[in-house]
Amino acid sequence: MEKLKIGIFELTGCAGCALLILDCESQLVDIFSAADIEAFLMAKSDNSDGPVDIALIEGTVTTEEEKEELLAIRRRAGLVIAIGNCACEGGIQAALTASGNWSKEFRQVYKDLKPTNVRPIPSQPIDTFIKVDYYLPGCPIGQEQFLTTFTRLLAGHPPELYRFPVCMECKWRENECLLNKNIACLGPLTKAGCGAVCPSHNLPCVGCWGPAEEANRSAEFKLLLEKGFDPESLQRKMAIYSGTTIVDFFNSLKKERR
Amino acid sequence: MRILKLKKLNLFSFLQSLSNGIELWAPVKKDSQTVFQFILPEEINKINLNFTRTLLPPKKLFIPPSFNMFQVTAKGYKEDYSWIKDRILFGLHPCDIHGLLTLDRIFTQNFPDSYYVQARQKTLILGLSCWPDEYCLCQSTHTDIIEEGFDLFFSELGDDYLVWIGSSRGDDLIRIKPEFFEESLGTKDIEKYIEWREKRAQAFKTKINFVFMPDLMELKYNDSVWERAGTACLACGSCSMVCPTCNCYNVRDEILLGDKPGRRVREWDSCTLLEYSLVAGGENFRSKKSSRLKLWYTHKLQAFGSKYGKPSCVGCGRCLVTCPVGINVKSISDSLEGKKVDAFWARFSIEVKP
Repeated sequence: MEKLKIGIFELTGCAGCALLILDCESQLVDIFSAADIEAFLMAKSDNSDGPVDIALIEGTVTTEEEKEELLAIRRRAGLVIAIGNCACEGGIQAALTASGNWSKEFRQVYKDLKPTNVRPIPSQPIDTFIKVDYYLPGCPIGQEQFLTTFTRLLAGHPPELYRFPVCMECKWRENECLLNKNIACLGPLTKAGCGAVCPSHNLPCVGCWGPAEEANRSAEFKLLLEKGFDPESLQRKMAIYSGTTIVDFFNSLKKERR
Repeated sequence: MRILKLKKLNLFSFLQSLSNGIELWAPVKKDSQTVFQFILPEEINKINLNFTRTLLPPKKLFIPPSFNMFQVTAKGYKEDYSWIKDRILFGLHPCDIHGLLTLDRIFTQNFPDSYYVQARQKTLILGLSCWPDEYCLCQSTHTDIIEEGFDLFFSELGDDYLVWIGSSRGDDLIRIKPEFFEESLGTKDIEKYIEWREKRAQAFKTKINFVFMPDLMELKYNDSVWERAGTACLACGSCSMVCPTCNCYNVRDEILLGDKPGRRVREWDSCTLLEYSLVAGGENFRSKKSSRLKLWYTHKLQAFGSKYGKPSCVGCGRCLVTCPVGINVKSISDSLEGKKVDAFWARFSIEVKP
């Protein structure tokens, strides 16, 4: 059987997801022998721009140039997998950019400086511009989840990722619920898959796996307000890893206040 | 059933003498909670006798939250029972033993579950008496007393334990240290025990109308309580994880790289989650949280009865102490009865009209 051609691509982000793949040290030989890694800038210098069966894409689209690069990858790829919070949701750099204040914020940071070799645009998750087949969440992605997804894809199966929130894995580890201890934990709003690492060390979930499918933001928000947390800091906390998805919720809060 | 007497100060030495060559699991402290944990003979003093309920029920020893069912290669598959050990499980309160008896009805009768059956057969159950707190509902669910389902049962009585021998395997355990046990109980012991039973029966502060629930669930099938609770539900699945009778699971296939065999992983699931009722083609029979909650409570308070004789709630109170928004057997059954409920979900649903 011919090996599948794989490309691992990085847009704007910390490169942590690509690094995590490279960090699967004991499995690297197996990964590179199971598939032809056609492009992986962090790992090798002879990168092809030919067709790939599976493209794993990390990072957000933050410039016009990246948008073009992304469209080109889509054209030559069979499956496209968004890897990491940036590619899936927009990441930290997209938090609240959909609010419409991007130009103002841009000027706040860069004043009158004019970028010379790129044309910046508001950071967006990759599915703003292209069709994404599967999403592998996390900031960065988890090693175990990456490997099980990768091997399923190589065998021609869709990934089997958890669709429930962190709380399930947290209970499997027999942790007391931090919300019940009056700690602002975002576990119920966040996709599982991390193994509930933070709550297992008595630290509240910050949401780095991105919003869970059925995240009940308004209920958790009101619950935390009742517990005495202030709305501004809660909103900031909820926005960090929610990318562009949180704007609708904030707008609904504004509407309620009126 | 034979009843013996054991001096309290001999309990740990007795348990220590049992843990020779067999794993002893017992309640120990984890932060402010208590959990069942494997205990080495030299750690016997870690056992915490003064607890009301463990965070997870003992089901975790018979169907672990996540375990490998079998290895698979191109040649076939091989079941993995390696996690099932000879064990003594000490410290089960009556509600938790009732919980195991409920799981027995599901996993050992029509379609025996080989993992559960083996783990059950290899585990001796040592029960322990308890005193209710404000969340215990077991008197209402008629699971506050246990007459079967244990090998030994320890009832605390002043400086002693009365020890019920519930099986021949339990009797064998007594024979490891017969010098610890007194054969005959005095009239005083019996009087003291009767008095303790009466006092304990009076100590239950929280009650639900459990007997009425099957009818009420039917009559109020379309009640607004479900929508209201559903709006506040975080769909986190915690109620199912901590419930001693919730038993649903999901399986995942893991393919490994190189020549390593693949695995089928079995993990706890919950009918309160969106994916649970999803079928091929993308249709979801219970896409609304309200209908999922209704299903959950139907099992706990109603429909399980028509199949297995009684609804499956054993009144342990874990959903009361776990659900962050206060959706639990007490608030739901009170609400069905038309009582005013002081729970976050009830307050929230007034604010947010569905």
